[in-house]
Amino acid sequence: MLRRNSLMILVLAFTLVLSVLPATAQSPVEVTLWHMEQPPHRVERIQMLMDEFNAANPDVVVSQEPQNWGEIYTKAPASVAAGNAPEMLFGIPDFTPILKDLGQLQDVSDFIATLDEAHTFYPAAVAPYSYDEGIWAVPLYNMVHSLWFRNSVFEEAGITPPTTWDEWLAAAEALTTDDQYGVGIPANRQLYTDQTIYNLMINAGADEIYNSDGTLRFANEATVAAYEFYSDLYQFSPPDSPSWTWGEAEACFANRTCAMIMQFTVITTYDTQAEGDPADLGVVAIPTSADAENPGAISYSNGVMLLTDDPEKLEASQRFIAWLMQPENYGRFLNMEPGLFLPVTEDGATAESFWNDPLVVKYRSQVETMVANSSSGRLFGFTNGNTFPSISAISAQNLLAQTLQLIVIDGETAADAVAEGQVLMEEAIGE
Amino acid sequence: MSASITQPRRRGVGTPRWLGYAFVLPLMLWLAATILIPLVQSVALSFQNVRVIGTPGEFVGFANYTRLFASERFWEAFGRSLIWVLGNAVLQTVLAFAAALILKQSFPGHRVARIWIILSWIVPTVVVVIIWRWLLSASGGIINYALVALGITPEPIGFFSTGDGAFASVIAINSWRWFPFQAVILLAALQRIPGELYEAASVDGASTLQKFFNITLPGLQSVLFVMGLIGTLMSFNIFDVIWLLTQGGPSAATTTLPVLIYDTGFRQFRLSQAAAISVVTGVFLLLFALVFMRFAAPPSDDGEEGRI
Repeated sequence: MLRRNSLMILVLAFTLVLSVLPATAQSPVEVTLWHMEQPPHRVERIQMLMDEFNAANPDVVVSQEPQNWGEIYTKAPASVAAGNAPEMLFGIPDFTPILKDLGQLQDVSDFIATLDEAHTFYPAAVAPYSYDEGIWAVPLYNMVHSLWFRNSVFEEAGITPPTTWDEWLAAAEALTTDDQYGVGIPANRQLYTDQTIYNLMINAGADEIYNSDGTLRFANEATVAAYEFYSDLYQFSPPDSPSWTWGEAEACFANRTCAMIMQFTVITTYDTQAEGDPADLGVVAIPTSADAENPGAISYSNGVMLLTDDPEKLEASQRFIAWLMQPENYGRFLNMEPGLFLPVTEDGATAESFWNDPLVVKYRSQVETMVANSSSGRLFGFTNGNTFPSISAISAQNLLAQTLQLIVIDGETAADAVAEGQVLMEEAIGE
Repeated sequence: MSASITQPRRRGVGTPRWLGYAFVLPLMLWLAATILIPLVQSVALSFQNVRVIGTPGEFVGFANYTRLFASERFWEAFGRSLIWVLGNAVLQTVLAFAAALILKQSFPGHRVARIWIILSWIVPTVVVVIIWRWLLSASGGIINYALVALGITPEPIGFFSTGDGAFASVIAINSWRWFPFQAVILLAALQRIPGELYEAASVDGASTLQKFFNITLPGLQSVLFVMGLIGTLMSFNIFDVIWLLTQGGPSAATTTLPVLIYDTGFRQFRLSQAAAISVVTGVFLLLFALVFMRFAAPPSDDGEEGRI
């Protein structure tokens, strides 16, 4: 009896193992990508690429979960802590130190070396992710701010697009009419304002927030000059600018309420919600002060972080990223928002899949200007080959923008506000 | 016989004592899992120095509380929370009373109006916020367009561009969202006041104001007490409307305590300090509830002083 029961149990166990084994062997590796490219057409483009990849790689299933920039700094660390983080997460350089501290972020140095051999990364794209003896994200696309306007508006006013601060302020004043604000610049305590004020800091010669020893040098004359000029321009901006993000600025430009805005791009909005006349859409580099020796604009090398140490999932994620970087796929990926996302690899910059997009063809001169502007782009906390991970605390609290609010909302002088801003930054990065 | 009627039934015959506990046990376990455990964890967290969620921390005693009570930002946010509660209470009560008194009247379409008024309350917060941001926008918003077109203001108003303007706007929008809920409750309470009382008062020559203060207001005392208690606690803890509209700005002008807690925990990455603010806020609200119930409770039906 005992022997018969043992035999039955053995048969049952064997049957179970047999039924599970084939399923395990055949089930594809599932990996998830979190990204913050929420507009439906971007989600659709990413999905199209994922579907192609999944069809060509039946042993892997890549899926996407769009997230919100406003929540991701909270949600991503919480997901890592809870043990249900995605395998891949898009981000910007100052986001990586936060996740690295949690111990889940993978060093992608070897993977970058492989990709670099095939596609040749622009060194400036990789640099912000390289610190603490590792590389903490794979750069995917670049974004740079430019000054956008309508040529016809300047022609009607009898002025030329500005290249210096004096010309910029004069243009903002000249273009302010009963129906139009001369310029649209935000004053919200938000990332967009961080970006626009940093544009002016770069062009005032105040792009270095840190000394080389890691101490802060935010409070200096050049920074004060940048904030003073920003508040001078601000008087020609719409009164609801303190609650603006990128969307409001683009809408203000599209509906002709704002004559000029600083933005990564306006091409899609302009093409679909405004005149769509490529000859009239003007774009130039951010104007610069007389004292600036190294003008430029804020620039982000967006990357993808890998948050899994499971070998199978890591391999699947890397295979997807490598597939995405192939020139025939990379241009289509960048053109999920034509004219916004710029290549970070040499073969990507010449890829037909990038330049053949109908919108890029239509606005080719504007895209070429953006690419040219990106050559002098930089990001606070990641300048001159230095990387200071503590910038993530300053960035997450939008302290550049908060300093601006001390001036335009609370009425402090630029010098007082910048001094207070430095104190806030020291508190933020302190224990 | 009379004893069997007047004495309350304690328990069904043959019903074991444990059955009652068994019925409430799942709920108690659920409450423990969703409220008690997080509460205890928050208190424990407030005595550590955890910055980012998921990272380890060390015991630091009362350091977070010491820093908190010395922080100007905390006391400013605390003051703003009190103004926020008061502003919302006054505005919502006035609007709710007016709406309830109007809706109590019988007029063509009054049933539709009673349903229609709660629309603003049932619409999701994020939709309310988007609608109001569009309406109040200085570059294309219909309210500013109307104000300028009617010559009321020479140029568009930036409702969120100054601290006072933003705080007043947020209070107004939140009140607009919540007053219908209170109006419906008040309407239900108003309909319970016997009409004969008003008729008798009219016969005695009472004015409208006299009827309001001597009949309507006392008749609503119980409801007003509950609304005062629940409304204050709910209003104090409102986060979504403020965050979605202003994120606590401009320049911290709309940063109430719940906003400060979020900002401290998830933008400054000082989770333990945020926990300390939560604990202090929780204790304050608990004390408020106890004092309110002790001194503001209406007399019970049997005429005794109100005690809960």
